[in-house]
Amino acid sequence: MMSASMPFTEHLTGSSGDEPVQEVALAVRGVNFYYGSHHALHDISLDFPARCVTAMIGPSGCGKSTLLRIFNKMYDLYPGQRATGEVMFDGRNILDDSISLDMLRARIGMVFQKPTPFPMSIYENIAFGVRLHEKLSRTAMDERVQDVLTRVALWNEVRDRLHAPATGLSGGQQQRLCIARSIATRPEVLLLDEPTSALDPISTARIEELLDELKEEFTIVVVTHNMQQAARCADQVAFFYLGRLVEMDTADRIFTNPRQKQTQDYITGRFG
Amino acid sequence: MRMTPVTRSSHHRVGFDTIFHGLLWVCAVLVLASLGGLILLMATGGWQAFTAFGLDFFTRTSWNPVKDIYGVLAPLLGTVVSTIIAMLIAVPMAFGTAFWLVYIASSRFASIVGTTIQLLAAVPSIIFGMWGFQTIVPFIARDVQPFLNHHFRHTPILGPILSGPPVGTGLVTAGIILAMMIAPFITAVMVDVFGAVPPMLRESAYGLGATRWEMMRKIVVPWSRNGMIGAIVLGMGRALGETMAVTFIIGNVTSVGWSLFAPRSTVASLIALQFPESPAGSLRLSSLMALGFILMVLSCVSLVLARLLRGKRS
Repeated sequence: MMSASMPFTEHLTGSSGDEPVQEVALAVRGVNFYYGSHHALHDISLDFPARCVTAMIGPSGCGKSTLLRIFNKMYDLYPGQRATGEVMFDGRNILDDSISLDMLRARIGMVFQKPTPFPMSIYENIAFGVRLHEKLSRTAMDERVQDVLTRVALWNEVRDRLHAPATGLSGGQQQRLCIARSIATRPEVLLLDEPTSALDPISTARIEELLDELKEEFTIVVVTHNMQQAARCADQVAFFYLGRLVEMDTADRIFTNPRQKQTQDYITGRFG
Repeated sequence: MRMTPVTRSSHHRVGFDTIFHGLLWVCAVLVLASLGGLILLMATGGWQAFTAFGLDFFTRTSWNPVKDIYGVLAPLLGTVVSTIIAMLIAVPMAFGTAFWLVYIASSRFASIVGTTIQLLAAVPSIIFGMWGFQTIVPFIARDVQPFLNHHFRHTPILGPILSGPPVGTGLVTAGIILAMMIAPFITAVMVDVFGAVPPMLRESAYGLGATRWEMMRKIVVPWSRNGMIGAIVLGMGRALGETMAVTFIIGNVTSVGWSLFAPRSTVASLIALQFPESPAGSLRLSSLMALGFILMVLSCVSLVLARLLRGKRS
């Protein structure tokens, strides 16, 4: 099992080999995914280092979002979708049926392409997820709400209207609220599925800054179509094509000196 | 070169457009005119009864063609109570079925059951009436009523409500049949309403670790609130006005009392039975027209209430 991970650890630690081996938050080993009879991911193996931003890039339909949705077992909702292989998280294979879904999802949060504020107040949007897992006193909940809103730089904008409907916020604010909502349950991993694809450039820049701050505490996996975004935010970049992992390396090397020709072609815009 | 045909066709289109525009206006005016005409006809037709009886018309419990004295309380209560019973049964059933179809059932099974529900919603009410008369009435008379009479006859409060002559016809029987009729209808609308909740919103809730129950209570219900109210009101409208099925199984006795199991009548069933035998110009016919007017008002008020409930939200 370990030998399979070797090539990837090698990339992460660099060719010199004298850097410390990085702690791995999610270790993917031989994962295959099927939508019914359609084989969407082929034998994927890679590591997601802890407290780093890993970007997954590739043309539409390459399987990057599919892989992201494996990490919190969202596919479990849909009959006919199944994953095989191993995704090790905190010493356990999350693909095992014995894994408790609500615990897993409390520890691995997810943010979607479009902001998805719940039909309730700003405060309740955050308290909703927290209440599913913890019993907090009123003051503790107030503190938690303030804390996460401050961290996503939304507190000053919404402090006077915490009990107003969240749907009244702008798109960028809604997306930051969704990130706040995800980190409020104190997850270890944060999954983001093209989090800025529905946002304007200014909101996008704020989210990107936010990722940079959040990675000190969370392991971040972000799926993006935006190559500049991957280059700006990510420490590691994984390039997928037709359901296979083509290449995984540091962002610098992927964008300046990729080893695979397909990667080169994609990042220079020759396809995808 | 192409100019000539273009101008000709655009000229042609302007003429057609004017006619089409006019036709649409006629349609719109016809809608208003038919509603106004109906209200006017019922109001003027019932005027004789309203003036003859005054407020007593609404509080009198007897409907007596022999003495030519009419009060609407009995049929009105029959309509309202049978509708309430029907809603109490149908709404939870429809909600559960719709939720199951949209969120839990496998897509193949859901499509089979979903189609069946639409077919059920399209069954003519007379079929439900016959089925109710053949199946529910004897069941209530033979099994339910003797049981209730035996156990509750001397219980305070519940006794008068649950006991009654074991004939099987009455408000509960009508309520059950009405529920059977409107539940598929409400379900079909609710399926569409639940289906409109964005999948990403659902996944967001699941993504935070919510269970199906929490997702339903906190996300689906608030999100679909307006649509659900709409579905319920549409069903209620059908239950309020349903005529033939109810006439078969309500017992058609114009009386007022506590029992939910005694034969009663509803506005629609009373009109259906007595309208053909009421001579033109008689006080009886006018009273029936007045009843029709009241039924229309009742439906309109429920619709307006639903609008208000929805308006509050947005």
